[in-house]
Amino acid sequence: MAEILIFNASPRAPRSNSRLYAEIFTKVCRIKTEYFNITKTNHIELCGKVNGFSDLLFVFPLYADGIPATLLNFLKSLETNPPGEKPVISVLVNCGFLEPSQNDTAVEMIRLFCRQNGYRFGSALEIGGGEALPATPFMRLTARKIKKLAECITAGKHRILHTTMPLPKRLFVKASVSYWVNYGKKSGISEEEMRTLRIEGK
Amino acid sequence: MKLILSDRPLKLSAAEADGVKYFDLSELKIAGCTGCFGCWTKTPGRCVIRDDAVNVYPAIAESSCVLYISRIKYGGYDTVMKTLLERAIPIQTAFIRLLDGETHHYQRAVAPKKAHVIAYGDNICADEKAVFSRLVARNAKNMNFESYRIIFTEESGIESAAEEVLKKWRKY
Ligand SMILES: Cc1cc2nc3c(=O)[nH]c(=O)nc-3n(C[C@H](O)[C@H](O)[C@H](O)COP(=O)(O)O)c2cc1C
Repeated sequence: MAEILIFNASPRAPRSNSRLYAEIFTKVCRIKTEYFNITKTNHIELCGKVNGFSDLLFVFPLYADGIPATLLNFLKSLETNPPGEKPVISVLVNCGFLEPSQNDTAVEMIRLFCRQNGYRFGSALEIGGGEALPATPFMRLTARKIKKLAECITAGKHRILHTTMPLPKRLFVKASVSYWVNYGKKSGISEEEMRTLRIEGK
Repeated sequence: MKLILSDRPLKLSAAEADGVKYFDLSELKIAGCTGCFGCWTKTPGRCVIRDDAVNVYPAIAESSCVLYISRIKYGGYDTVMKTLLERAIPIQTAFIRLLDGETHHYQRAVAPKKAHVIAYGDNICADEKAVFSRLVARNAKNMNFESYRIIFTEESGIESAAEEVLKKWRKY
């Protein structure tokens, strides 16, 4: 059965950027997809769903330069509860920083999981500036890359793809200040307060 | 300050005498980061989850020598250490700067660090070591490491590797 199973491994999956990227994937993908959020308690249930799918796509954020603990823990469950037939595993990872290549290590980790557990690694899309992207007009560009990812997966012609906001770094840095200042404003916190050097009030 | 974070209990003779702070993370209650960014935008510098992590990340910030001891899994830190590292982002701000030509966050009051990382496991293969080395190289930029060294070992070799690091620290 050529269908793609999508697992969202963001710790805030229901409200995540990963969810938005997964929704675009589902919209532009020519073959059927099924989507689930990974939670702390549904690992066994999700491992049970993998059987019968030709492809598995993990959608997740970069956390501390690697895969988030949510995904690490799920992979450990999948390792002990493997499906009868193993799908090809692909990745859609987004990070806050501008450079998509900051996601390379996370992709390498998934590759390593595949090698250690007998899965074929498929394609990857690494998104830079992924935190603020959904609020910008650059989402159209991102959607095009997501479409490319879907095409690679459905055709079995695998590639590593990258995309980011088409901004010079200094402009991105400036734009990120307004993004975060607005974020703080919603909680009544000023830029100065956000810039505090104090940790736990000390 | 000097700091050891370990994901398993350690038997170290020298640690206390050398004035080293030590956390056995496996004994602490540390929940997973929920990605709420409260530590940047609601209560800057403080995580909204008030569990044991709130005692650990200030110690990371203060320390100029750190030793992280973790089982290696899929080329990264295993769950205990990874969960803690994710909970340590209150020590950075939301704001972004250029560092070595790349975008990274500003640190709050975080001492530059000489870091040692002991990654342990059975027969760690060359591929896995390579991925882990790339990971720590990236961590160095985000976690304010001015230098770092990685030591790969079997679990039985952790204590002696750690003692070696402590010996080096006497110089600082
Ligand atoms: C604990 C934590 C660690 C993060 N670490 C990184 C990082 O190392 N590099 C990076 O570029 N972004 C990092 N980010 C930013 C996220 O990758 C970014 O906000 C992403 O858009 C979140 O996606 P999501 O909404 O799908 O969870 C981190 C965010 C959190 C909460």
